[in-house]
Amino acid sequence: MHATNPRWNRAPLALAAAVLFCAAPLLAQDNRPTAFTNARILTMKGALIERGTLVVKNGKIVAVAADATAPAGARIVDCNGGTLMPGLVSAHSRAGFAPQPTANPLDAMMRRGGGRRGAQTPPPDSGGRGAQNAAATKAVERLDPKQDVFAEMLRAGVTTLALTPSGDGLPGFGALLKPDGKTLEALTTDDDAFVFVAMQRDSRVKKILKDAFDAAKKAVEARKAPKEAPKPEAPQGEQKPGEQKPAQQKPDAGKPPEPQKPGDAPKPEQPKPQDPPKPEEKKPEGDKAQQPAQEPQAQQKPEEKKDPNVEVLADLLEGKRKAIVQVGSGADLLHWTHAVGKELAFPRAICAEAFDPQAGSLDLVVEELKAMKSIVLVPPSLSTLPRSRFVTNPCKTLHDAGIEVGFVLGDAPARVRIAFVRLMELVRHGFPRDAALAGVTVVPSKALGVDASVGTLEVGKKANLLLFSGDPLDPASELRSVWLEGQKVQDDTAAR
Amino acid sequence: MQLHYFAVLAATALLTVDLEAQRRGRFNRGGQGQETAPATAETKAEEQPSDKPKSHLAIVGGDVYLGTGQRITGATVLVGDNKILAVGHRIELPEGTTVIDAKGKSVSPGFVCVYGSGMGAGRGAPWIDSCNPFDPEIKQGLAAGITSFLASAPRGGSVPAGDGAVVKLAYGKVEDMVLQEGTVLGMSAQLSAADREKFRDLVKQAKEHKSALEDFLAKKADDPQAKAPKAPAGTEKILEVLNGKARLWLTLAGGGFNPFGGGRIGAASDVDSIRSALSIATDLGVGCVLIKPTSAWLLPDEIAATDSMVVLSPRDRMPIDPADPERSGSNLASAALLNQAGVPVAVTCPVSMFGGAGVGTNGLLGNDLNTPTVDAAFAIRGGLPNADGLRTLTLDAAKILGVDQRVGSLEPGKDADILILDGDPLHYRTFVETAIVSGRVVYEIAKEPIYRRIRRQNNK
Repeated sequence: MHATNPRWNRAPLALAAAVLFCAAPLLAQDNRPTAFTNARILTMKGALIERGTLVVKNGKIVAVAADATAPAGARIVDCNGGTLMPGLVSAHSRAGFAPQPTANPLDAMMRRGGGRRGAQTPPPDSGGRGAQNAAATKAVERLDPKQDVFAEMLRAGVTTLALTPSGDGLPGFGALLKPDGKTLEALTTDDDAFVFVAMQRDSRVKKILKDAFDAAKKAVEARKAPKEAPKPEAPQGEQKPGEQKPAQQKPDAGKPPEPQKPGDAPKPEQPKPQDPPKPEEKKPEGDKAQQPAQEPQAQQKPEEKKDPNVEVLADLLEGKRKAIVQVGSGADLLHWTHAVGKELAFPRAICAEAFDPQAGSLDLVVEELKAMKSIVLVPPSLSTLPRSRFVTNPCKTLHDAGIEVGFVLGDAPARVRIAFVRLMELVRHGFPRDAALAGVTVVPSKALGVDASVGTLEVGKKANLLLFSGDPLDPASELRSVWLEGQKVQDDTAAR
Repeated sequence: MQLHYFAVLAATALLTVDLEAQRRGRFNRGGQGQETAPATAETKAEEQPSDKPKSHLAIVGGDVYLGTGQRITGATVLVGDNKILAVGHRIELPEGTTVIDAKGKSVSPGFVCVYGSGMGAGRGAPWIDSCNPFDPEIKQGLAAGITSFLASAPRGGSVPAGDGAVVKLAYGKVEDMVLQEGTVLGMSAQLSAADREKFRDLVKQAKEHKSALEDFLAKKADDPQAKAPKAPAGTEKILEVLNGKARLWLTLAGGGFNPFGGGRIGAASDVDSIRSALSIATDLGVGCVLIKPTSAWLLPDEIAATDSMVVLSPRDRMPIDPADPERSGSNLASAALLNQAGVPVAVTCPVSMFGGAGVGTNGLLGNDLNTPTVDAAFAIRGGLPNADGLRTLTLDAAKILGVDQRVGSLEPGKDADILILDGDPLHYRTFVETAIVSGRVVYEIAKEPIYRRIRRQNNK
């Protein structure tokens, strides 16, 4: 059909021209600093700047103050008194993973444990049957990067997007995405950003978790033991420099255009480079990274074969990794403790996708959560007492107990677009404004362990900015533009 | 057998202690200090050797229904951690005891339902792994006085089987949710001749094994080379029943039909089928549980002779069949007659036409969580003494579930599953004010949205 229309013959040419035309200024911008003037700046760290300037260079914030001046030759963005705040950080998202259809809806209901009571929508493929210890698998490898959803998320304000694996037990690593990427490499900032644990009150899931962490504890002990013996240490030490990079940022290794990566690596992802090399970790999973690791692998052969899934958890227990533990309800949290024990501690955030009054919203386990000293990620919403119209505010209960509350923004861009409306509702019900905004920026960035590079507007951090016409929690205010690492996100929805 | 000894011992001990308490409580309250002292000291002495409880809770001044049939007025129930330490008068409260004033209130053991559903029970064995300690139904159950129930009643097969669990309504605590699991076994009493013969044979093998094991244990002391006998295949469950570790429930409606799961009331539950069930109990030499034997009131002594127990639904109605005199029809006095003969009776709700199993929130009228006391009340209407009426929901129900060492009465050493009520436990106007499960307060009427707004209009 296209071929019959003569106009289409010229289309590619025009398109190419358009692309060049658009790209030229973009490329030129890269070296030019950008200054956001006349801005009300919510730095999320320290006091609010009522009227100030924020200067961005090379995708980083170089100055933010009331008296900061735009450097010579800088591109000026006059905010006209609009409010600048850090881009949203979504620490729990399955955007990009198509919802997995269940063969039998009745089956899914049963797996939830008495569907007639469980009114909440179950998370995709929940239910314990597929549960396994696959902690070393990388969720991002199953991701189709050519989806609009990431760009949509970005336009909705999410500048740091987590990719949460689905499945029960230990489904694998969650990734960190830079939502403007069009290829898997460009999209992925960190393919093993956090270990994801999906808790269910189910004997199979509980057994898998218990066994996995028991094995990990043993592995930790085993690591401590051979340190005295010099022999196995020597080859390991030799490998370290060569090994580090692929272990840490495998997909990045082969691609040059990622200049910001080494820059911020030393800060947040500090512990990871210090990981003891785990060549064996690559055996089952790394199809891409297999090649560079081939040689050390051969060297290690005679050594005892280690289960990569266990090694990942051992790293976690040693504090070299972070985890996000997803629980469906307060009951699940109690079962988590029942399964793995109270003493088991590692860097983690506790996350619930929804409040489930049928199995206890998380405010019922506030004491337990306090004792865990973890960040808690919950939906920005109110709840009700079960089978009643009594409204409860679990977010406020948790916050008042001194727990850092972050918010789950949801998997759908539409959900993110109304995030501020939901935050406003919480604020109306007594949730502090500052905590509401921190809950979508600083707190989730801490949960992901990237708080050194995103989450606040401070010098040295990534220039991920949201420009609102007024205060973000003012219903009359609108999101004017989103800036990802100093670049304005083009809203092409109008053109379409 | 050991179990029975224990029960008898406990009952005798309690009786002596209690008689004294009754006298003091009713007629001579606080008058005879010297007499009280040894009794309390005795109970104390029993409890002290075990490790000291960390926290104490005392329910003071209430009319304490022990669950065994007795009542002590103005008594104290002392709880240490999750167990009852002492019940009686003049109990010295340890320092730091949390005191709940129950003056003018009734104190009763939590109700035990011989069959229920929901209320936080999990999906199947292992039950503890899928239980829901925050199920809102738990609060509803507690509001009705239920503190434990059997989830998943056993079905009738040709051999004893079942993996149901006795679930406790321990709101907010996973560890306390499951009391016992797989200890209520079910079997059909209507076996084919071949199955009946097979079962008889298995029982014989099991008994032989049991005595062989006893011989071995006796011999082991002087002969270290003695080999432990191996249990013959298929006798494992029967051995559990013989050793008193499990209860065998006999379904009277034949063909594997589950009368809890929608079987028509009274089908085949005539005198003959009761007798065939009793013959199974006789073979075993262990009392079994007869599930809803409609004609049981015709032969209470025969049932008592086998040490068997009965689950009844006093609200069940079945007319007499003139063509079949064996099918006697139901009798409101069933529970009373059985009780008179010494048969432990537990009550449960009737089975509806649409199935519905035990109490729960399945949306069936007459089977909801508030009906346990209604069923007991029907038994009382049929002549069961008031005091024994409460037992159908407490100690006798616990016996029928095989958990009477843990729950069912307020006796030292048992789980602290206690209700504080604003009236007679079985009165229709009575509300549970506080429910305590395993020593923790898990329900308070003023704090839950269920009944907190209900006010009596005419309080006299």
